[in-house]
Amino acid sequence: MSEVLNIKGLSAGYGPLRVIHDLDLVVRSGERVGLVGLNGHGKTTLFYAIAGLTGWQRGSILLNGKQIGRTRSQGPGRYTHHIVRLGLAILPQGDEIFNGLTVEEHLDSGAFTRDAWRSRKRRKDRVLELFPPLRKLMKTPVGKLSGGERRMVSIGRGLMTDARLYLADEPTLGLAPKIGIGVMNALLEIDLGQSAMLIAEQNVALLEHRVDRIIGMHAGKLKGEASSALMMRLH
Amino acid sequence: MDDLVFILSNAVVVACIYGLVAIAVSITWSSLGLLNLGYGFIFSFAGYGAYLAAKMISAHPLVIASAGILTGALGGIIICLLVFIPLHDKPNFTIRGMTATLAISLMGSQGLLWWFGPLSKSLPDLFGVWQVSLFGIVFTSDKLGIVGCSILMLTFVLLWMKGSRRGLEIRAMMMNPHAASIVGIGIRSTGFYVMAITGAMAGLASVLLSQTYYIAPFSGLTPLIKGVSIALCGGLGSVQGAVIAAIILGLVEAMTSRLLGGQYVLITQFLTIITILLIRPRGVAGILDRAREQ
Amino acid sequence: MNDDAKPASSPYRWRNPLAVWGAKGGNYEVPSIQVPDPRTVWDENTAYKVRLHKVGRMKHYIIWPANASRLWSRWRWWPTRRNPLHVRGLYNRKTLKAEKKILDRRPVYWALALLALAVAPFLFPEGLENTLLTAGAIFGIFAAVNICWTLIIGTASIFSLASYAVVGVAAFITSWLSINYGLPWWQLPLIGMVIGFLFGGLIALPAMRLDGFYYALLTLGLNELCRVYFTTSKEFGSASGGLYGASTYIDSDWPPLVQSLVGYYGAFALMVAALFLFRFTNGKRLGRVLRMAPEKREAFAEATGVDYKRARVTIFLLTSIALGFIGGFYAAQYRGVAFSIFGFETVLLGLAMLTIGGIGKAEGAVLGTLIVVVLDKVLITWGPIRHILIGALMLGVVLFLNNGLYGMKRQFYAWRDKKKGEWRSTRAEKGGEALPEEATETDDKDDLYHRRFDKMQRDYLKKLVCDEVIAEHKAKPLGQHSEALERLLLYFRRAPQEDKYALHRAGPNGPYKIVAFSGMRGTSPRIVEDREYTTIEEAYHGVFMRRVHDLLEA
Repeated sequence: MSEVLNIKGLSAGYGPLRVIHDLDLVVRSGERVGLVGLNGHGKTTLFYAIAGLTGWQRGSILLNGKQIGRTRSQGPGRYTHHIVRLGLAILPQGDEIFNGLTVEEHLDSGAFTRDAWRSRKRRKDRVLELFPPLRKLMKTPVGKLSGGERRMVSIGRGLMTDARLYLADEPTLGLAPKIGIGVMNALLEIDLGQSAMLIAEQNVALLEHRVDRIIGMHAGKLKGEASSALMMRLH
Repeated sequence: MDDLVFILSNAVVVACIYGLVAIAVSITWSSLGLLNLGYGFIFSFAGYGAYLAAKMISAHPLVIASAGILTGALGGIIICLLVFIPLHDKPNFTIRGMTATLAISLMGSQGLLWWFGPLSKSLPDLFGVWQVSLFGIVFTSDKLGIVGCSILMLTFVLLWMKGSRRGLEIRAMMMNPHAASIVGIGIRSTGFYVMAITGAMAGLASVLLSQTYYIAPFSGLTPLIKGVSIALCGGLGSVQGAVIAAIILGLVEAMTSRLLGGQYVLITQFLTIITILLIRPRGVAGILDRAREQ
Repeated sequence: MNDDAKPASSPYRWRNPLAVWGAKGGNYEVPSIQVPDPRTVWDENTAYKVRLHKVGRMKHYIIWPANASRLWSRWRWWPTRRNPLHVRGLYNRKTLKAEKKILDRRPVYWALALLALAVAPFLFPEGLENTLLTAGAIFGIFAAVNICWTLIIGTASIFSLASYAVVGVAAFITSWLSINYGLPWWQLPLIGMVIGFLFGGLIALPAMRLDGFYYALLTLGLNELCRVYFTTSKEFGSASGGLYGASTYIDSDWPPLVQSLVGYYGAFALMVAALFLFRFTNGKRLGRVLRMAPEKREAFAEATGVDYKRARVTIFLLTSIALGFIGGFYAAQYRGVAFSIFGFETVLLGLAMLTIGGIGKAEGAVLGTLIVVVLDKVLITWGPIRHILIGALMLGVVLFLNNGLYGMKRQFYAWRDKKKGEWRSTRAEKGGEALPEEATETDDKDDLYHRRFDKMQRDYLKKLVCDEVIAEHKAKPLGQHSEALERLLLYFRRAPQEDKYALHRAGPNGPYKIVAFSGMRGTSPRIVEDREYTTIEEAYHGVFMRRVHDLLEA
């Protein structure tokens, strides 16, 4: 079981404001980890810091054992596509979609490696199995879809390559409860194999008992992680 | 009748050449957010490149044409390196990028003047001297060649943008650069592709135009002004709008030079442009809600 | 997060001081740990860990001692009470003497610069005088045009390229009038103003409809239209490249040096007039309204009820009148005008001048004009290289500076503030548990100090938790305890009522359950867990373990 993501002592923030303080996190392959916490406590900042969309000031991030990101990023997003090509799939909060492209083109755009591009038909079929409602909507421009369908496209796009680490940022945000449950089910049922998934979610109930670990995030620090030997004696 | 055909054919030829530059400007603007006014320099640069190839390698049309296209692509890449890469994430990028391309245009043209001297050069004929008679009308080789080449290049570029992975990346970047970086599309590498392709288009336009005019250090200025006018008239960012505007302005140019005389061409053209802009403030295509609203 | 509280203290055996008198319940000797000095935590936390650097000088002000009798006398702009240099009176904190301080030094710089330009002709080296004087005259006129152009491009942020067209049209028409109707030189600028006004109306109307690059294209089109028209019409000298022969204020009977000097000072006076126009437009209400409604962001101005459209039309008319005046002046100075004023090169050079100096400020326009005119006209012997130099300078300025040379100071300050913020955030110790935004919002600042102190205490107490201490408590929950355990218990007992653990007894000797207080009157405690303890000692120990668990978690 190798470590897919290893974060040590990460401090990230915006200018003089520090949002994440000395964060340590390890995600191993095959694991599904839930990250719960209220809004504004640093979940999205953590994901952005891993992806290189925001600068971080201290610590280290290792993706598949490779050091990514810099302690002072030159401008957000400058190195993001390099990091993504190392095997990171981001399913961003609120969908980042391309307004004029059709659903099929969206899914195509997710296949950025050469063999992913070549086998994109097979991958698209796999995504359509996961999200059947998209089958009829392949030729529609994404700007015209409803919230749930757009979320499905956004997640499907992230699944088009074989990423080692999936970062899902609030997959059920803004969706009707039934649709949200459907989307979350799809995410939780994907066979991870050697990859790992980190899901940030406000609604703990959706994640309970279906992920390997749940970590709380409060004020930029992780809480409620593995218990100490001492606390083992309590139970 | 003869007159009409003559006017039409001239119009189409002019529209093709300047339309290529206009579409290049439009594509660069909508995918990179950069109004590239360095096409004047790329134009002359490509012309001189083709001239050097004709002198030193061979006078075969394909060699000259490819030399022009490749030099144009090289010019585009130079502008990408000097302007787009350093500036694309800095504040005031729009004005600064435009001014930087102007500066490069100035430097490049003066550099060409200093190196090659002010005398203009000419390229050997690309299409030979033959004629074709269709429906009782005579089409000369150069007109056919120009129209054919431009349409070929345009079709190739548009098909490539629609069908290939790179084209998809460019179109995606036009709409949402933030999301594009999440899907592994690098802004800088896409910028290289866009500038190289549009530079190649300008290079081809230069080689085609040199069938009628000579190559001089400042010969790119008029095509630049005309190309940018057509792009703006058609609506910045719209390829169909640029094509329509190119045809309209080509017609105006042809009609004026036939009926009023060559020296009034610019007057009528600009009067047309002003009228179009006053009627449709965002150009012919009237795009009001594109992602890259300027 | 501490895994197993590893105390920095050493194990030893604690002897109960009451053992001498026979302590009730045994407990004469208990293995415990030696407690580390609590002051170490305090010292660590409150130590100043920041690396100290030598600090530079704060902003320097010109201060001079004030004479008591003339303490309040100031120079003022008559008829207002405004103070040209913002002189302020203050008392020196060390010597308690009265002093005066200048807050705004810009008028001094302006005065020095204009003085330097005014006496420059007398410092020109021999032999170069003519070149430099003619270049100086061109500099003055172009600077005036660029200052007016800055009002449109900078203050009103409308991207118009028609300034030189207005100047050219006014110059041509006034020259033609002067040549054909023999008008005297002083009438030329005045007629130019009228022409400028008409032209200004022409370019102001499309500005209401177009914006951005589309408007720039329209003005460029107008520029080209004028060029083609004037170049092709015989009336306006198409054969000779321009018009020549208008009346001028420079008498041709004077010696050439005097002529050049008069031309230089005339242009200088024109530039100063343009500067006054800029100051009284940009610095007053019209300028403020325009800067409040830049292109594409007029919604805010509109929402506050400001009539920005009228302001824009006004600025167009005003600057066009000024440009027309300059056009007439140009004709009066050079006795005519050439077609090159309509060329694309002139617009390009003008844009270079504005960009190099920095768009938006009059100083930027003047500086940019100075640099480009020196490169273009004074170094004319260098040939095409000088244009390459101008282009390179323009490229360099645009690549590295956000807003030209005059924007350098603000850019540097912004960069320095960003770096300061980053350095501060890397140094920031997380001592206190309060996020910065919370800290500013809290009314009771004591709360912040308490939280910080609390955190220090908890850090220290975590070191005391170990097996021996827990065993000691399990053996004897109440009574005399070793120092480590005592410190822990004292901290736990001081916890606030909200969520404080307590024991609930089902019967007189009944099983005990752990509950937690709500902290609110009228709300009953909540049951924490279902586990029941048979004896009270076990229950005490259960509560203790819960509190230890919470301490280690927090």
